[in-house]
Amino acid sequence: MDLLLQLFVNGVINGAHYALLGVGFGLIFATTRIVHFAYGPVFTFAAYVAWGVSGGLGLPIWLGLIAAIACAVGLGLLSYLALYRPLEVNRAPPLAPLIASLGLYIVLENLVGILFGTGVRVVDLDYGIYFLGPVFFTSIHLWQVGSFVILAGGLALFLRRTRYGKAILAMTDDPDMARIIGIDTFKITLLVFAIGSMLSAVPATLILLKDGASTHMGFAAVFMGFVAVIVGGVGSLRGAAAGGMLLGLVESLGLWQIPTEWQQSIAFVVLYAMILIRPEGLFSMARR
Amino acid sequence: MEYVLHVLAMFCLYSILATSFNLLVGFGGLFALSQAALYALGAYATAIGAGTLGLPFPIPLIMSVVVAAVMSALIAIPALRVSGHYLVVVSLALQIIVLQVALNWKGLTGGTDGISGIPQYTFFGIRIDTPGSFLVVAAIAAVACFWVCRRLTRSPFGRALRAMRENEAAAQAVGKNILYMKVTVFAVSAGLAAVAGSLFARYFTYVGADSFTIDETIYILAMVILGGAGNLWGSILGAAILVILPEALKFAPLPVDIADKLRLIAYGLVLMVILRFRPEGLLPEPRGKKAMFVPVDAEGGKGDAEALFEGGAGEPGSVTLEGRALKKTFGGITAISDFSIELKKGRITGLLGPNGAGKTTAFNLLTGFLRPTAGEIRLHGKAIGAKKPHELVGAGVARSFQDLRLFTKMTVIENVVVALPRQSGDSLASVFLRPLKVREEERANAARAMEILRFVELDKKAHETAEDLSYAEEKLLVVARLLATGAEVLLFDEPMSGLDQTTLQEIFPVIRKLAANGKTVCIIEHNLDVIKELCDTVYFLDEGRAMATGTPEALMNDPELAARYFK
Repeated sequence: MDLLLQLFVNGVINGAHYALLGVGFGLIFATTRIVHFAYGPVFTFAAYVAWGVSGGLGLPIWLGLIAAIACAVGLGLLSYLALYRPLEVNRAPPLAPLIASLGLYIVLENLVGILFGTGVRVVDLDYGIYFLGPVFFTSIHLWQVGSFVILAGGLALFLRRTRYGKAILAMTDDPDMARIIGIDTFKITLLVFAIGSMLSAVPATLILLKDGASTHMGFAAVFMGFVAVIVGGVGSLRGAAAGGMLLGLVESLGLWQIPTEWQQSIAFVVLYAMILIRPEGLFSMARR
Repeated sequence: MEYVLHVLAMFCLYSILATSFNLLVGFGGLFALSQAALYALGAYATAIGAGTLGLPFPIPLIMSVVVAAVMSALIAIPALRVSGHYLVVVSLALQIIVLQVALNWKGLTGGTDGISGIPQYTFFGIRIDTPGSFLVVAAIAAVACFWVCRRLTRSPFGRALRAMRENEAAAQAVGKNILYMKVTVFAVSAGLAAVAGSLFARYFTYVGADSFTIDETIYILAMVILGGAGNLWGSILGAAILVILPEALKFAPLPVDIADKLRLIAYGLVLMVILRFRPEGLLPEPRGKKAMFVPVDAEGGKGDAEALFEGGAGEPGSVTLEGRALKKTFGGITAISDFSIELKKGRITGLLGPNGAGKTTAFNLLTGFLRPTAGEIRLHGKAIGAKKPHELVGAGVARSFQDLRLFTKMTVIENVVVALPRQSGDSLASVFLRPLKVREEERANAARAMEILRFVELDKKAHETAEDLSYAEEKLLVVARLLATGAEVLLFDEPMSGLDQTTLQEIFPVIRKLAANGKTVCIIEHNLDVIKELCDTVYFLDEGRAMATGTPEALMNDPELAARYFK
């Protein structure tokens, strides 16, 4: 029973991580319909920049986080302006941005390797360790859950309450209609890339503190974000968050019966089952 | 010298991987990201078959092909029901799970150590243990795989595949079985990738998981895109460039791992630059006559297209297709609430009504594109509720689309040929096992298609690409394509909208003649003059039900209907 409780808490912690990635990736996907694979290496870049500032230069971790956010936002905007935007202007077929994003993915990932070297990078940090009854967790774990609650909540308020937020929702609903009613879709797209990328920098920094940074960590990040979006239902951010949380929980609780090395495969099973049983996802806004 | 031969052998392997991936991405428009995983399955199956189990050639190769083909088809099935993004994510998941199994199922795959000591080929007592001798084997395999791809793409199956890529619903509407085509092309593509994997295992005598990461898929994808999606020679060229050029990096004074990363960055840059500046690739997909594989000289032959214009047996005026008390709801919205319709042989029935009245939904129900929530559809008195669109085309019910949905990148005559009924070449088994029969049919079909084009006066444009036609010509091609199905019940969704008076006068006799030949015709139309000119019976639809039925004159003199129509 104690084990199950611990696994549940671990699941919530990992779920919060996946959910944040799902929301960030999903925001870009839902608004622009671009499958932004380079979201993965942007995540990796952010982690390495945070390491450079806080580990390499020895500056406080909050400075590292700010640098990571700045880097992620910069790369996100650059991805759109230098790559996806010209393709849109060219009226390229829908697959083109997807394929191009794979190119960008592999470029950025290997650039990280050249700039920062391979090998795992860690930041030494004193963090609190807590016991709540039989359950163990650290302050980094708390931050993972806390950052999800704060950022997802903040994003929800932003989308519902502000003019820009409502414009984003309108574009998610129907990009052509949004353009017709006078929304500057170019500006909104930039905004969405900035917010989505920012959302990746926070979990990236926390993963750096928790497990360290490695060159290939971006693949898992973008893949889990993507799976969270599909499981949750394309177009729904609430769904992406719920999908991410579900993945974390299932993955962790699965360990009760399944050996650790198969943990990653559990997400795949959830995905496969979801597409078979309920292809529209948990929360679908598709009306057809 | 050894080194050059090694690079050439690798080129052979990658040309197999690139052409097989092109089948999927370029010809099928199916974007999956699991080519490296299928390559891995092929390699591991041979490693286990030849190494661990010690089975003789060709059993390990067959194991490779079967394992990869079956896995690929299995993975594809759930993703095929839904749109492209699902396929991307499911195929990525396959990529991950294959590597997970390779790393974790230690008893079978050796885990991180991989499998070594795989026996090399021995043919006729000669051991294939040098790059030179292996190059011969690899070249033979590459040529064989290329031949399979070429045969497939230049067959009725390949044509249907391209049609599906252009527009899936339209391909169904001309009677193509989408599920069969997708699963087949997935299996073939996977099987060929597995051949490359099998060769890999024999050549290196070692198989390990790190050779088959997602980077490998992107590498192969870069070859396809650089060479040109939808052009097999392009994939060969792309493989040649991307295998040979990066070798130059080996001579640069760089640490090995940096050189390796630069190589991968180069592939990524190639992808981005090509998509930005030359999306069609170095060798674009052939167009016009070059794209045709039906002998052009056969087009002049005497066809039997007349048979396609006939409506089949039965009394004029007898009911062929009928819908009873049809209902369709989407979520909470009712599109059709209670609609009954009878379509009669030799008669032209019109569907009239304001926008959003449910006319197109009614068409979708009658042609199997949507399932009714309630109610029944009968063809010649037999319920056809559960039939799929392509099965209904075979049974004799075909439709056109309001937004045309031509196969825009194909030639005019190809648009028609692809729609002709009962092509044995639609089955991949026939393409390879009964090539003579398929070729004979192709010649006959070329002649029939030309006759249909003459009937709608598009024969002069037969070899133009459909997207280059004028709007009126596109509309005529829609009619030609629908006629080519040979169906006895023809449902036209706004065939006349946007046409000028002269063109209208050309199309009227075509449709009247079809009815006179015994076809059952149904048209959705907004233009009251057209309705008056053509239709025997009109159904006035509004709010998802038939408000009135009668002759055009009777309906148009009804002031209430007029008010509804012009509201």
